[in-house]
Amino acid sequence: MIVSFGYKPRQSIVETFDPRARWIFSILMLFAIVNFWDIRFLLGFMVISLVQYTLTRLTWKETRRAWMFVFFLMFVMIFVNTIITSAGTIAAVTENPHVIFAIEKPIRFTMTIERLWYALTQMVRILAITTLFLVVPFTMDPRQYGITFKGMGLGDKLAFTMDLAFRFVPTLARDFGTTLDAQKARGYELDKFDGNIFKKVARMAPLIIPVTMNSLLSGEDMVNAMDLRGFSSSGKRTWLYTLQYRRRDINLIAFSVIALVVSFILPRFFDIGNFWVPGFLIP
Amino acid sequence: MKDKKSIWSFGTRVVVYAAIGAALYGVLSWVFNFLQLPASGNVAFRPAVVIPLFFGIVFGPIVGFITGFLGNIIGDLLSGYGFWIWWDLGNGIIGLVAGLCAGMMVDYKRAKDLITAEIFVVLACAAGMFVASVSEMWVSGLDFATAMATTFVPAFVTNIINGLILTPLLMIAWSAIRSRSGR
Repeated sequence: MIVSFGYKPRQSIVETFDPRARWIFSILMLFAIVNFWDIRFLLGFMVISLVQYTLTRLTWKETRRAWMFVFFLMFVMIFVNTIITSAGTIAAVTENPHVIFAIEKPIRFTMTIERLWYALTQMVRILAITTLFLVVPFTMDPRQYGITFKGMGLGDKLAFTMDLAFRFVPTLARDFGTTLDAQKARGYELDKFDGNIFKKVARMAPLIIPVTMNSLLSGEDMVNAMDLRGFSSSGKRTWLYTLQYRRRDINLIAFSVIALVVSFILPRFFDIGNFWVPGFLIP
Repeated sequence: MKDKKSIWSFGTRVVVYAAIGAALYGVLSWVFNFLQLPASGNVAFRPAVVIPLFFGIVFGPIVGFITGFLGNIIGDLLSGYGFWIWWDLGNGIIGLVAGLCAGMMVDYKRAKDLITAEIFVVLACAAGMFVASVSEMWVSGLDFATAMATTFVPAFVTNIINGLILTPLLMIAWSAIRSRSGR
């Protein structure tokens, strides 16, 4: 069984940025976006996310699975939130409603302009956030995750753990494939699942137990090997890859910080950026 | 019984087993997403969730947290689902809370050890999925009822069913391996 990450070099401008700067940008943008409920500001953030997405040269084929997942989740959440429950935690949605229609039977339900507009605002907000992060796994080399988070302040051991985890993935996938084939040779059928959910889950044991136990036993050997090579001794560590900030990375981080500060100040001190419904929709 | 202090130590063993746990959780999540095995009703098929639970119970909260957090990231990367930081954090909390009982384990096959582990499986799944669901309120603007109905309940029920059944089986297997190999 062969597994591979979705990353491949695309020679895009996004990949020329330091991965640390990209992570800082994404995280600060997330915190900036969640300060707003005004769709005009959220559309601005959506444009920034889409610009990044366009610059990565990702194709629909590569990201289709991710988008289908996002659309499905978004639909379920917004549908339930708008139609079934009280449509969000924003007081402005319910304090001065303009009714479109109301039904009494078989259930009591009122659709208002504010509810529908809130659903649209939610959709833009969710899309702005997911578009921001969706590009990361396809455009960031997995071999650099360790050094990236080390450069962002994570300890050496945690950063090394990340690197080691990514290195283990192909080995464990191969082991899983071997175990699956061995169990099939003994009459184990993965696609014949009868019975209730409890029996189905229990039938996973012949796959999960051998793979897990084998990995734990090999882990003990690795611990000994690393200790014998002085891994546990203290001292400054060096890394195979190094990262260097350039001017564009500093500019990106500065832009992100400014955006976050402004997004924090505007709604709280100037009452700008809160939930807004266009005047032409209100009768 | 382990010394309470030792469950928070971060030596070479923790590094290696956290990395193995994360990679294993990621690979198994990808496998079961890929295979699309039929579930029952509203309960999804997610046997991989036993990995952060088991690794937390055996190796402690740090291993449990990294296994859940990083493993969920790896699983989403392999499956092509992108990044969902708040769900990664929720899965990390599953492993962290499960790991809080690591110091109480004696030989992993005693009835008391198994019952303690099962209790922590429920607590861990509740804590982890609650954090992830409440985060959805903040990110997506859902109200509490929607967050609970669409995210917490399906995730919690799925995880505890998969966790309660498979965790004791792994613990008993680990107890046998440990005693045979002298570890």
